Amino acid sequence: MPKKRLRAAAAIAASIVALAGCAGGESTSPNAGVPTDQPITLTVWSWDGTVKEAVPGFEKLHPNITVNVVNAGSSTDEYTALDNAIQAGSGVPDIAMFEYFSLPLFAIPGKLSDLSEFGAKDLAKDYVEAAWGNVTIDGKPYALPSDYGPAAMFYNQSVLTQAGVAAPPTTWDEFYQAAKKVRALGGDHYITNDSADIFVLMSLMWEGGGRPFKVNGTDVTIDFKDAGSSRAVAFWQKLLDEDLVNTKITNWSDDWNRGLNEGTLATQLIGGWFTSTLPERAPQAAGNFRVAPLPQWEAGETSGAENGGSAMAIPAAAQNKAAAYAFLEYFTHGDGLQSRIDAGAFVPNLSNLNNEKFLSATNPFFGDQKYNQVLADASKNVATGWQYPPFFGWARTSYEDVSAPLYDSRQGTLADVLETWKQRSIEYGNEQGFSVR
Amino acid sequence: MSRQLLTQRTSVSDVVADHQTFRKPKRRNVGLAFIAPFSVLFLFVFIVPIGYSAYISMFQNKLIGGKVFIWFDNYIKLFQDSQFYDGVIRVVLFTAIQVPIMLFSAIALALAIDSLRLHGSRFFRIIVFLPYAIPAIVSTLMWGFMLGIRYGLIGSLNKAAGTSFNPFAPETTMISIGVMVTWGFTGYNMLIFYAALRAVPRELYEAAAIDGATEFQIVRHIKLPALRSSLIVTIIFSIIGTFQLFNEPNILTTLVSNSGITSYYTPNMYAYSLAFTGSQQGYAAALALVMAVFTIAIAYAVQIKGMKNAFNK
Repeated sequence: MPKKRLRAAAAIAASIVALAGCAGGESTSPNAGVPTDQPITLTVWSWDGTVKEAVPGFEKLHPNITVNVVNAGSSTDEYTALDNAIQAGSGVPDIAMFEYFSLPLFAIPGKLSDLSEFGAKDLAKDYVEAAWGNVTIDGKPYALPSDYGPAAMFYNQSVLTQAGVAAPPTTWDEFYQAAKKVRALGGDHYITNDSADIFVLMSLMWEGGGRPFKVNGTDVTIDFKDAGSSRAVAFWQKLLDEDLVNTKITNWSDDWNRGLNEGTLATQLIGGWFTSTLPERAPQAAGNFRVAPLPQWEAGETSGAENGGSAMAIPAAAQNKAAAYAFLEYFTHGDGLQSRIDAGAFVPNLSNLNNEKFLSATNPFFGDQKYNQVLADASKNVATGWQYPPFFGWARTSYEDVSAPLYDSRQGTLADVLETWKQRSIEYGNEQGFSVR
Repeated sequence: MSRQLLTQRTSVSDVVADHQTFRKPKRRNVGLAFIAPFSVLFLFVFIVPIGYSAYISMFQNKLIGGKVFIWFDNYIKLFQDSQFYDGVIRVVLFTAIQVPIMLFSAIALALAIDSLRLHGSRFFRIIVFLPYAIPAIVSTLMWGFMLGIRYGLIGSLNKAAGTSFNPFAPETTMISIGVMVTWGFTGYNMLIFYAALRAVPRELYEAAAIDGATEFQIVRHIKLPALRSSLIVTIIFSIIGTFQLFNEPNILTTLVSNSGITSYYTPNMYAYSLAFTGSQQGYAAALALVMAVFTIAIAYAVQIKGMKNAFNK
């Protein structure tokens, strides 16, 4: 669970670094039904610090509406608080933040408002398809995407060069070859680290077309045997077997920072939000890191995956839904979006991902590379159709437990771990009222 | 002795009789008023939370279908839950090994300070106690860095000696946690023992010295028996403390990987993860109550055992 909290902390950090840019977000009028005569106070639960940037502009447009942005905790803490408020029937916020994988947990039991009634479906064309897919359940949008984490490969150019890898790997085969060369540098040099991070493994499955979770209402199917998933599992097993991945370093730890600084971790397969936290974590490696798309399964492919990201939704029990939607639209799509982008938010809105100024941003830490260009392409390339089981929040903690014997003491295989994980998930899911197979 | 008691009893019953004859109604009201603040607090701070836990432990909070009343199913499930036993066995083993080591060290330190043969015993006393004042979170971070194999003290020692000892391997993590807890609480227990030793009348030592007792005999026959009641108290505190082990393993998961710490590593961690990541509050409440009963039972057994020995003397 602490890992989770740190991941959420990373999402906060993602919103700290300011990126230059300005997009002319098209402005629709989602203000239908918003009362203009009575005073309204909206409460927004968000651990994304950029949301408050949009408040002054919104309040100017709607003098009768006051917006309170509250940090009610990150991730699980917020979900627990929200669940408690919903059960108690009081203190429910008008807008709440969710990681993409946690949306079904609230949407499927009917705890969130279907945003179709406010015309949210019209906004679909402004988002990369996969991001819109994240907030759509059974064809209904339950949230609007507010930030995005396209999976990318951050690599230390000087270490790769030192290892004799001239160009960053573009396929997983090249990644494997590069891993061997980096390992040949000796000592603690590894191409990357992995301490049972399910998100890395899932992004490999996701990119290659694996869809291990299928959700239809409360029916959930789990199967890691499809072609895309099996290929990812076999590949990662090979890296583990040949000691090409450092399994002793966990993300967010001090060891991790040191590895990134020293260059003993040559790459990171992680979400695009890493741009905001890497420079402060690895100041000694300034100028060495670059961003590249995730390596592909076949040369020439341009597929992608997600690692992180979140959305904002309106609880079914919220008091002022029309006004809430007006603000929600304002800061995720409308005129308020730019203030958040300026404050460092990485959003999946095409208006921004196609904006020249945004794309041309550079940072000396990344060797003046136009890193936003890479991440914008990665965002657009994210493969669609991925689904998370509604109880994924529980499942990822469970994954850490079941994968411990493999990562701690090399017992069993990744496939065994996934099989055990599947059984535990089936047991838990059925207990929780889902029908899981 | 018995005569003295008898006199006392008579005098007490005399007083009671007085009151009963002359001021019966008023006395009752005054009494109620006196216990009212306590009763209210006791009710809201002890009885209601425990009652509420017992109440929610009979519900299952399903993601689909909401709250369902399931009688004692949570308890039945708990007693068949291998993850629960895994945690319980771990803390029981931990307690059985760590508590004696810690209390033995604490007694040794208290005796040393009390011996009046140490220079700077005050300074020593404070230094040994100091770790107790450091929050578990900070001390875990500190020990985590010190025992870390990559950049910590152990890492350097390994490098120098060419060994590969890892204090945070699945087999050794519990020992490292034991070291942290012992470091943190030895001083606290030492103070309790030291206070008990200070309460021993100095005349006893003089008398023993006149009778020709050696220092060792004084320890054996005066000081150690004087520590008996504090020993029972410290054992009970320590059992409760180690059964509730949470901070150290919980923080270590963020510091080191492959330490073997799971979400059900200790019963407290399991309860936390059930309630906050699995939204199984009812099940977590059942677990908490069972652990409470288990802890109370063991603490009570220690107390009874301790008392019995005391009477046998």
